[in-house]
Amino acid sequence: MPFNLDDLTAAEIASGVAQGSFTATEVAHAALAAIDAREGAIGAYLELTPELALAAAARIDEARSAGSALPPLAGVPLAVKDNMNLVGTHTTCASRMLETYESPYTATCVDRLLAAGCLPVGKANMDEFAFGSSTESSAFHRTNNPWDPARVPGGSSGGSAAAVAAGTATVSLGSDTGGSIRQPAAFCGVVGMKPTYGAVSRYGVTAFGSSLDQVGPFARSVRDVALVMGGLTAGGRDPLDGTSQDASADYLEHLEDGVEGGRVGIVPALMDAEGLAPEVRRTVEDAASRLEAAGAQLVEVSLDHLEAAIASYYVIGPAEAFSNLARFDGVRYGYQEPGAATLAEQSALSRAHGFGQEAKRRQILGAYLLSSGVYDRYYYAAQKARTMITRDYLAAFEQVDVILMPPSPHAAFKFGELADPTQMYLSDMYTISLNIAGNPGISVPTGLGADSGLPVGVQLQGPAFGDRKLLRFARAIERSFADGKKSVLPVAPGCAGKGGELA
Amino acid sequence: MALTENEVRGIADYARIALEPEELTQMTAYLNDALKVIEPIERYIDADVPPTFHPIGDLANVMREDDVDRDRALDIAAALDNAASSREGMFRVPSILGEGGES
Repeated sequence: MPFNLDDLTAAEIASGVAQGSFTATEVAHAALAAIDAREGAIGAYLELTPELALAAAARIDEARSAGSALPPLAGVPLAVKDNMNLVGTHTTCASRMLETYESPYTATCVDRLLAAGCLPVGKANMDEFAFGSSTESSAFHRTNNPWDPARVPGGSSGGSAAAVAAGTATVSLGSDTGGSIRQPAAFCGVVGMKPTYGAVSRYGVTAFGSSLDQVGPFARSVRDVALVMGGLTAGGRDPLDGTSQDASADYLEHLEDGVEGGRVGIVPALMDAEGLAPEVRRTVEDAASRLEAAGAQLVEVSLDHLEAAIASYYVIGPAEAFSNLARFDGVRYGYQEPGAATLAEQSALSRAHGFGQEAKRRQILGAYLLSSGVYDRYYYAAQKARTMITRDYLAAFEQVDVILMPPSPHAAFKFGELADPTQMYLSDMYTISLNIAGNPGISVPTGLGADSGLPVGVQLQGPAFGDRKLLRFARAIERSFADGKKSVLPVAPGCAGKGGELA
Repeated sequence: MALTENEVRGIADYARIALEPEELTQMTAYLNDALKVIEPIERYIDADVPPTFHPIGDLANVMREDDVDRDRALDIAAALDNAASSREGMFRVPSILGEGGES
């Protein structure tokens, strides 16, 4: 029986290549055929890189012929968010500002996955400079949710999530500043993890909020996410990123150990929050019961300062974004306004015409918040709230191993449905406190919502550098919902089976 | 107190983002909406806790000898490759003061 990439996990692709069941080049061709057949209806990518994928595959096949041991992700098709540099591609951040920008070097996170054997098939669409929760602010095109093309894939890493849900990549990389991995994973029915702040190098990733940003993986199963975490952290601390910490470990080692005797926190205030869709609430409650049935104890915990999380995030994020995006002045790179008489005019017009609306909004908000006389009232206060939020988590993680909650108040929404930017901000209520504290979190699908018929799931949050424990609990949830299958949800039905066959 | 268009024009100038008149109106409405989202943070101004500027508390600046790392430094051609205009191995910019024509 011929294989289809839709049915293979990253682990199975790597072992199939290592055992000679198929070659990495055959996998690359299958992935490219799947992209050919499906990408037109989805629009997950900003740039396709068949030459890079085939060249990487050829290197793996040569290594196998030479009798060398193959790396753990040998032959696995990978999509990379377009805010990560990869030599041979543009890195546009989905912005006109960087439409022609060519990656001068390769980001450490991408480099490490290439070293682990991944085949880079393309650069994934995103909200412009990662400002957004729907990928609608991409300057180039929209990305359709593979489960319902009238709906958004979430964001900002919407292309990375959609590529995995559509089966045009087996794994992908995203970045999460306020939920930009966990929320699109939930909307697209895939697993998405934001590791502990500092666990994955950000060298070569365009900065948005430097005290919040973290790179992490998407895949269709927890095991594949764990496998990618191993690749991202292999090699330990990256000296090229001052915030990088050594998080190298065998992320598969305790994955199947179960949760017997574990303690799972539930925050009642989050379960009763206004705007939480009943189907999302029910699936979180269902996951809690299943963890209990697997031997874990449910414990109520409180995070008293969560109500400050949205406010402090929308102070810290824009302030840091304004500082980081000040570098786009049209001189060294990026769009340059022709015919300007002075440098100041050239900068102001290059930025006016290079950035989209949301990027301008966030920067002007950040400029205001950092201005003299305003700084103390908002920015300084937000950093104090950050202390309180971090302490809440520390106290909670003295009582529990992980905290279970929704990843988003609702399933994927329709294009244009959250047109008001500040309404969009409020939809981040379940994800942003984690970035403020720097802890790890993971979004795990649980199935299709009883009311919407769209993917729904749960979020688990863990203590700093408790990434392996978080994966173990995530795997227990996945196991309880997957009915013995490899993943809770398959490749989206509109995409499955189109291309992707291994000859 | 709500921000006025005049104040927002000043902030946009500081952020080096030129705004068309209709954009200024929209931006003013947005900033006033956004300030409503973040106003609850003012309750923390007098909180008796130290501020946390970063999740990793003991970060210090990374210092090294002031030597060029030839393995990492981009060569001049590569560094200029993404610039819209360059001349004689340098980034090219208009006059800073707007006088004297081409610089």
